[in-house]
Amino acid sequence: MFESVEEVQQRFKDARYIANLRIATVVFLAARMGRPVLIEGPAGVGKTELAKTLSDVTRRALIRLQCYEGLDEGKALYEWKYAKQLLYTQLLRERIGELIADAPSLPEAVARIAGQDDAFFSYRFLSPRPLLQAIRAEDPVVLLVDEIDKAEPEFEAFLLEVLSDFQVSIPELGTVKAKHVPLVVLTSNNARELSDGLKRRCLHLFIDFPTPADELDIIRLKVPEAPERLARAVVAAVQKIRAMDLRKPPSVSESIDWARSLVILNARELDPALVESTLTMLVKYEKDLDRVKGALDKVLADTPA
Amino acid sequence: MDERILEFIGDLRRAELRISTAEALDALAASAEVGLTDRETFKATLASTLVKEARDHETFERIFNLYFLDLEALGEGLKKALGPEDPRVQETLDQLLDQDNLDLDELTELLMRGQGSEMEMAIRGGAQNAGLERLMYFLQVGFFSRRISDQFDWSAIERDIEKIMQALEARGLDPGQLARIRNYLELRLEAFRRMIRQHVQRELERRAYRAGEQLTREVLADKPLFALTPDEVAQMKSVVAKLARRIKDALALRQRQEHKGRIDSRRTMRKSLSYDGVPMEIVLKRRHREKPKLVTICDVSDSVRNASRFMLQLVWSLQECFSRVRSYVFVSEIAEVTQAFAAYPVERAIEWALKGAPVDYHCRSDFGYAFNRFATTELESLDRKTTILLLGDARNNYNDPQAWALRQIRERVKGIIWLNPEGQWGWGIGDSVMPLYAPACDIVRECRTIGQLGEVVDHLVHQWWRRGR
Repeated sequence: MFESVEEVQQRFKDARYIANLRIATVVFLAARMGRPVLIEGPAGVGKTELAKTLSDVTRRALIRLQCYEGLDEGKALYEWKYAKQLLYTQLLRERIGELIADAPSLPEAVARIAGQDDAFFSYRFLSPRPLLQAIRAEDPVVLLVDEIDKAEPEFEAFLLEVLSDFQVSIPELGTVKAKHVPLVVLTSNNARELSDGLKRRCLHLFIDFPTPADELDIIRLKVPEAPERLARAVVAAVQKIRAMDLRKPPSVSESIDWARSLVILNARELDPALVESTLTMLVKYEKDLDRVKGALDKVLADTPA
Repeated sequence: MDERILEFIGDLRRAELRISTAEALDALAASAEVGLTDRETFKATLASTLVKEARDHETFERIFNLYFLDLEALGEGLKKALGPEDPRVQETLDQLLDQDNLDLDELTELLMRGQGSEMEMAIRGGAQNAGLERLMYFLQVGFFSRRISDQFDWSAIERDIEKIMQALEARGLDPGQLARIRNYLELRLEAFRRMIRQHVQRELERRAYRAGEQLTREVLADKPLFALTPDEVAQMKSVVAKLARRIKDALALRQRQEHKGRIDSRRTMRKSLSYDGVPMEIVLKRRHREKPKLVTICDVSDSVRNASRFMLQLVWSLQECFSRVRSYVFVSEIAEVTQAFAAYPVERAIEWALKGAPVDYHCRSDFGYAFNRFATTELESLDRKTTILLLGDARNNYNDPQAWALRQIRERVKGIIWLNPEGQWGWGIGDSVMPLYAPACDIVRECRTIGQLGEVVDHLVHQWWRRGR
C-alpha cells in the first residue's frame, strides 16, 4: 500500500492533509503491520480528518462507528429486523399453515418449522451495523471508531475482541470472518482513561496543536484563496492565542474556519476591529473571549507585515 | 540493534512506563519495517509502539536521547573527523572493494565503507568482551576505552591499508591522490578510536542516570518531609502528582447498568420500538452515584510546612474528583482557601495558602481554638457524605484542646481522617494532644514521608471511597 513514510506524506498532501513525520510514520506502520491506530489529542486537530483522508488516499470506503455513552453490542454489531420478521410471518401465515398442516404431532410441526429457520434468520433480516459491515465488506475498507472514550469500558472489551480476530459469530448464521482486514482508526478526546488492553493492541498517535510552520502549510492548503500575508497573520495570531491560558484553546479546524471567514469578508490583513468582530469563530467561551479581547493588542503585535 | 532497543525498553520500564511484552515485540517488528536510517522516523516508530500515555512522552524523550544519540553523533563525528567530504576518494575505494579480490579484515571493510550502525555494533561486541558492565566511575573511561580498543586487531588493519595502497598504486594513481587516500583512511581510523571512547562515556552517563533515578525514588520516598531540600521538594512534586492521578483514576465515575431496581420508562419505550412497541427488553434506572465531598483542614504552621505543601498540592489536583472540595488552613485562626484553589494555578494557590491567607502565621498553634471556630461557623455545611481530611501534628502549645469541638464535627460527617507528619513516638509527649483527638477520628495515620502519603492514598482509594460506601 505504502512503500515509504515519504510516500505517505506526499499522498496525504495531495489529498490536502498535512501529515507531519510522526503521523506519516504511524500510518505507514499501521498499513504494513495491520495494526489499529489509536489517535489521541484535543478536539479539532484533525483526528477524524486523518481517517477520512486515509480512506481517500487508499481508495477504500470509510465505515464510521460513532461512539457514545450507552453504545452496546446491538447497535455496533448487528440487530435483527424483528418487525420485518414479524411482518413476513404474518403475510406468509397461510403458507406456513400449509407446511405444518399434515404434521402428525406438535413436536413434528415444530421440527418442520425449525427446519425452515434459514428463511427467517438470514441476512435478509439482519441489520448490519458498522462493525459487521466492516467485516463483511467485499472490498477492503477503513473502519473509523470515533470518540471511543465516550463509550463504556464494557464496550471497549467487546471491541477489543472484534479487533483481535476480525471475526464475529452470529448464533443463527455461524461465524463470519473478514475477507479483508480493515484499516482501523480509533479516536479519543481523552475524556477518560482507556482500558489497557485496547491501548496495548493499538499503535499510538498523539496529535497536538501544529507548529507555526505546519499550521501555515495547512492554511495554505485548505484556504488557498487567502493571500499569503493574511495567512501568515492568521497563524501568528492563533499561535499567540493558544499560548494564553484559556479554557478551550482554538483548534485547527477553528483557525481554518476563521481564515475562510476572513477571506469571505475580503480582509487583506488583520486589524483590531476586524479581529474583535470575528473572534467568536476562534474562541467559544465567554471568559476566554473577554481575556483575548483584553489582550488583543499583544496578540496582534508584531504580526508579520 | 534489537538488543539496544530491548535495553532501552528496560530503562523505560524502570522509569515507570508500563510496557508489555507484546508492545516490545511490536517495537522490534516496527523498527524492522521502518529501518534505522532516519532518526526522527525511528523515534516516531518507537514512540507509537511504546508510549501509550501522553504524560510519558517527556520521560521517553529523555531516555531516547541517552540511547540513540549515537546514531546522529556518529555521523557528525565522522564528518568532523574527515573534514570536507571527498566523494571521489570514497568512489575509488568502493570500486576497489567491489572489483578486486583483496583479502581484507572485516573491520577494515567496515571502516572503508563507513557504515555507522555496523561500526557501532562492532564496538558493542568489543565492549561486551571487554567487560564494560563493570564500568562505574568517570576515571575508568580511559581504562575501558583502551580495553575495548585492544579487542580489535589494529596491526591487521594497518597491513590491510598497506595492501589497499599497493593495489591502488598498481592501478596507476599518482602520488598526490595516493597521499590523499591514505590520509582519508587514517582519519577514519582515528574517528573509529574516538567513537570507542564516546561509547564508553555514553555508557557511563546512562548508568549514572539509572542510579540517579533509583536513588530519587527509593531514598527520597522515605525521607522525612521536613528534611527535604528545595530541590528535593521540586522532585517530589511529580511523585505527588502521580498519587493524585491514581486517586483520580480510581474514582472515575462510571454509571453502571443495574440489574434490579426501578424501571426507566423512557428508555424502555425507546428500546421497545424495534420490537414494534412490545417491551421485550426492560431498562432499569441507573443509580446516580454522587461524587464524595471532601473538606480538608490543613495546619500551616512552620513545624509542618513541607508536609502541608504536599497535602495542599494533592488537594488541588483532586478538585475534579469531588463534587465539592472545601479547603481550610489554620494555625490558630482558621480560614477558608477554597476560592484560591479554584481560581489560581497550583503553585500560586499553595503559596497563597501558605503565606497569604487571613490567618496569623506567626502565632502559636492552637488546634482547640481552630476546631472551636470551625464547629461554630461551618457545621451547617457538613453532611453525611462529607469526609474531613486533617493535617496537623497536634502540638497544641499547652492550650485548651477543646476536643468536644472535634467530636461535634465528627457527629455530622461521614468520617475524619487525621494525617500526622510527626513520628508516632512523639504522640502524647510534651504538648502533643494526639491521644485526645484520636478517639474522634476514624483513621489516624503517621504521614512523615512521601512513601507514607502514598500508602494513605492507597488506603483511601481502596477502602474508604469504595463503591457504595
